Amino acid sequence: MMQAVVLGGMAFSPLVIYIPIAFLLSALTRFTLHRLDWHDRLWKVAWFEVSLFVCYFALTVYLLSGR
Amino acid sequence: MKKYLRITFTIAIVIAAVFAGRWVWTDYMHTPWTRDGRIRADIVTVAADVSGWVTALNVKDGQAVKKGQLLFSVDNKRYQAALEKAKANTESALLTWELAKHKYNRRVALNTQKAISEEDLELTRINRNIAKASYDLAKTEQDLAQLNVDRTEVVAPVSGQIINLNLRQGNYIAQGVSVFAIVKSDSFYVTGYFEETKIPLIHENQQAKIALLSGGKQLTGHVVSVGKAIANTNTQSNSQLLPQVQQTFNWVRLSQRIPVDIQLDELPQDTQLSAGMTATIHLATQ
Repeated sequence: MMQAVVLGGMAFSPLVIYIPIAFLLSALTRFTLHRLDWHDRLWKVAWFEVSLFVCYFALTVYLLSGR
Repeated sequence: MKKYLRITFTIAIVIAAVFAGRWVWTDYMHTPWTRDGRIRADIVTVAADVSGWVTALNVKDGQAVKKGQLLFSVDNKRYQAALEKAKANTESALLTWELAKHKYNRRVALNTQKAISEEDLELTRINRNIAKASYDLAKTEQDLAQLNVDRTEVVAPVSGQIINLNLRQGNYIAQGVSVFAIVKSDSFYVTGYFEETKIPLIHENQQAKIALLSGGKQLTGHVVSVGKAIANTNTQSNSQLLPQVQQTFNWVRLSQRIPVDIQLDELPQDTQLSAGMTATIHLATQ
């Protein structure tokens, strides 16, 4: 379930954790694609990356919210 | 062929992102959950039913007490004296009644011999009834005096834990003024303040998962009631009885929060609950 994230006695939305995780996963994917030189093989890289970020974000929410 | 594969792959990811984004939005905005939950408990305030000095204080702050346990005693000298006075009054009234009964019975006999008038007999009958009423009144006053004496010993109305005890032996306390509170044992429940947009998704007996801000094991419970009213500030009036209407923004409205009470199922052994704690609540959806 979605829980509050407690930092120094303050409760934040769990998105404070989920969004950076999704961002890190997107960055890792981007780095890997560059290393393997597959980046050029993608059509509309920006579309791909933004969409991938959203997918990662949904996955993070699904996995970490303890469903 | 390779070009089409590239396009298809990106489009597939975009479509997946649309569905994933929609799912996250629905999950965040349209499922009955709130981070605005509070732990609550039944709080019973303790007040003495008689005024006086506190002569003995038998409990400490935070102490667990059982129902009926003596909490503190109020000086009973005045109430004891009032009781003695009431007892004497009752005795006096009883004797007066007996005398009146005797007089009446004697006059009934005399009346049969036509030795006294009907009026005289009627007078003694009424006097006997007045004496009976006076006796009943004195008895009730004695019961009241006894009640006051009994109420000088204040006992716990419920089992629970003493909270915010600032009373000290020797303090003067007034009748009916609360001096501390008891948190009733096993009376903890959760109130979740849900946005009004989520209220249609909430119904009685709906299963709830509760996570405390303090961490620990997740608690479970079920919805027992959805609040049927919250205060409306626009209904208040000023000193001239004019309505105090709040200004609002034209574009943005904050949804109201409706309290939903959730009864806790069995509590895990090591869970420390205090009324006022913050909790996140997630209600099950069909």
